[in-house]
Amino acid sequence: MTIERLKEIVHKVLPDVDVVIGYRQGFDALHATPFFITKPEEVDELIWGPLCVHNLAAYLPSLTKNKKIAVIVKGCDSRTVNQYLQENLINRENTVIIGIPCSGVISVKKVLKGLGDQPIEAVSGDGDKITVTTSQGDKALSLSEVSPDKCRTCQYPTPLIYDHLAGDPISPDKPAESVYDDVREFEKLSLGERWHYWETELSRCIRCYACRNACPMCICQDKCIAESRDPHWMTQRLNGTEKLMYHMIHALHLAGRCVECEECTRVCPVEIPVAKIKKKINMEMAELFGYKAGVGVEDTPPMFTFKVDEEKIEEHEL
Amino acid sequence: MAKLGYLPKEKLTALLEALSKEQRLFVPCQAGDAVLFQQYDATKTPCLDRPATTPPKGIIFPQDDTLFTFTYHKDAEDLKKVSVELKENLDVAPTIIFGARPCDAKGFLIYDRPYTETDTPDPYYKKRRDMTAIMTLACPAPSPGCFCTSVGGDPADKDGSDVLITQLESGYLFESITEKGETILQNSLFEEGSSYQEQAQRTHEAVAELVRKPFQVTEELTQKVLSLFENDSFWEEEANKCISCGACTYLCPTCYCFNITDEQAGSSGERIRTWDACMFYHFTLEASGHNPRALKHQRLKNRVGHKFSYYPQKYDGAIACCGCGRCVRYCPVSVDISEIVAHAQEYTNDHGE
Amino acid sequence: MPVVAGKELRIVGFLCNWCSYGGADTAGVSRFKQPTDLRIIRVPCSGRVDPLFVVKSLLNGADGVLVAGCHPNDCHYSEGNFYARRRLEMLKQFLPYMGIDAKRFHYTWVSASEGARWQQVVSDFTKQVHGLGPLHRKEEASD
Repeated sequence: MTIERLKEIVHKVLPDVDVVIGYRQGFDALHATPFFITKPEEVDELIWGPLCVHNLAAYLPSLTKNKKIAVIVKGCDSRTVNQYLQENLINRENTVIIGIPCSGVISVKKVLKGLGDQPIEAVSGDGDKITVTTSQGDKALSLSEVSPDKCRTCQYPTPLIYDHLAGDPISPDKPAESVYDDVREFEKLSLGERWHYWETELSRCIRCYACRNACPMCICQDKCIAESRDPHWMTQRLNGTEKLMYHMIHALHLAGRCVECEECTRVCPVEIPVAKIKKKINMEMAELFGYKAGVGVEDTPPMFTFKVDEEKIEEHEL
Repeated sequence: MAKLGYLPKEKLTALLEALSKEQRLFVPCQAGDAVLFQQYDATKTPCLDRPATTPPKGIIFPQDDTLFTFTYHKDAEDLKKVSVELKENLDVAPTIIFGARPCDAKGFLIYDRPYTETDTPDPYYKKRRDMTAIMTLACPAPSPGCFCTSVGGDPADKDGSDVLITQLESGYLFESITEKGETILQNSLFEEGSSYQEQAQRTHEAVAELVRKPFQVTEELTQKVLSLFENDSFWEEEANKCISCGACTYLCPTCYCFNITDEQAGSSGERIRTWDACMFYHFTLEASGHNPRALKHQRLKNRVGHKFSYYPQKYDGAIACCGCGRCVRYCPVSVDISEIVAHAQEYTNDHGE
Repeated sequence: MPVVAGKELRIVGFLCNWCSYGGADTAGVSRFKQPTDLRIIRVPCSGRVDPLFVVKSLLNGADGVLVAGCHPNDCHYSEGNFYARRRLEMLKQFLPYMGIDAKRFHYTWVSASEGARWQQVVSDFTKQVHGLGPLHRKEEASD
């Protein structure tokens, strides 16, 4: 069992670190929540499974400066660690990475949508199915039906970087060439349709900055130009222009850095597909520079470097 | 005596249309996968079976509100002489909020104390508040994370509403609570409703049973939370997973803090009031560069402390939380304010105050 | 400066101090005729141009944005324009995804001696933006 192996590793690691970050049960049976373990007796509360949706690596930059941290990462989350190392944002010596091969998580929103937002009393998993219990009875859902978009094209079920691995490596079984199919599909729309799509989606934005604060690569945080008055990039208005501007800032600052954990989409309370904006730039980075963020520790983010002769960039004629 | 009216389900659209003709009518509507309060018209899809993602507070206290516009005029004779022209923006139309939940309505009562029940009422808030009637839908079921019964509420609470609506098998029972509500119930679409009252009562009681009760408000709670004010390690532990975004605050029916900024281009501009959130670093950032709440646990302490300690101390023990559960349900990392309050009670019981 | 209604559109130009601004100056000194839609902002280097400058312009009233810098290998700071090329190409491909026509944004290289080339770039780009008309913007999102 992965969870037994995981607890064993955490017990082994705990004496040498200040905190181990894992998952435990949240306020109901459907929600897991990040769990900061400092005492051996807390290890029993650890959970692992399709409910463990958060990208825990995002806590590292603020903590590894003066503390030693062990963190549990899924395959997708491990790209965050690699990217941090590429950009020199964490101290590797203060970081212990506990990898877990993952066969996919759920989207809490998709599960709740199928159930009309009722409180969940119990959740049990069995292979590729989960059974959810509410006061109205049981409902069985297939994992593929309620999986987040990132799992549907997952290329890295096994962490790319780890010090300990809890479980046997899993090989990717999704075709690599279809990762950006949704972007290509969206690009078939006319310019006007695309503008209208984003106008409608972003109109719901409440500028709560959950997408920014959950983003592992948004490292400016308290200094974000979306809030600062000096420089005065943006007003506090809530109109379409400012909402689009904010999301452009987020997307462009992540060019060649987005590790596709899709935390931004997951956390958005008003269900804006925030990650879909970044996915286009990620596709460009792959096509122009053959780069995927967070895949190799030694890679250089494409916006941090250049080539004198760019093979894929041509002069634009008027 | 409260007025009772019954409306068969199939007449709901007709009622919404009738109400929307006479005033601005806001109804929870499907917007993408979210449910938002939107001004009703025939193109909208009302959604009453789950609470709106965002509370209706923005209808009375808009997230961005132009307080006034200003223009500088230079004197043609003496260019050093500049005059300022101000134009106040206080246009408000009569409004109905339809389908708020009892917790949403209660949120406005918490707003009222600092905004209207003072020596210097806020004219913008007060005018909108006076012009708005709230028609509340008693919760047909609890939602994930909600806990109204722990903070003195109830899924069929009448406090703060003008009309209470109860969803029955084949229709809705409307009960007026205020004069504003009685006027609304004079509409000819309503049938006599007194025979449905018992059925409604049974529904209310059944739902109340289902609401989770993570803690109980006691008289000492306010003191207990306050006694932890200097206890950084308690708050650090509660806040370690918090990512310090504003989702909890902006989705909260009772969070009422704001920011005021002047947005100027050339010689004219406007003074706007926008929601602000104590979870943001910038909220307390001072002009000197000093920030009294530079760390996230200090900010989370403020949010919990304000709701369960500072506000009740100021306003006769009233808790500034209506238990709607949105902050719990939509928190990116499932920080549960009710759990923090329960922990605070446990901690002070174990360690003394 | 207000635009001449019906005749002009708003085009913002970010020009590097060392080459393109000089190129524009050369064109002016040589009295080459140019359209008047362009408002020039001088920057130290095309590498100074944050793609957000372009976005901010387009979302706040500009109908087109032109960025010009030294030719590759001629950057006053050796490599500023190489960085600019990557960033601006990324932006050029990204804008249409958000529903903004990529033809409203152009980046190119003009040296200080290329007055005639500058004239050509400005004329052609202005013509291109006029072909598209004013950029549709909705100032207030609906609730």
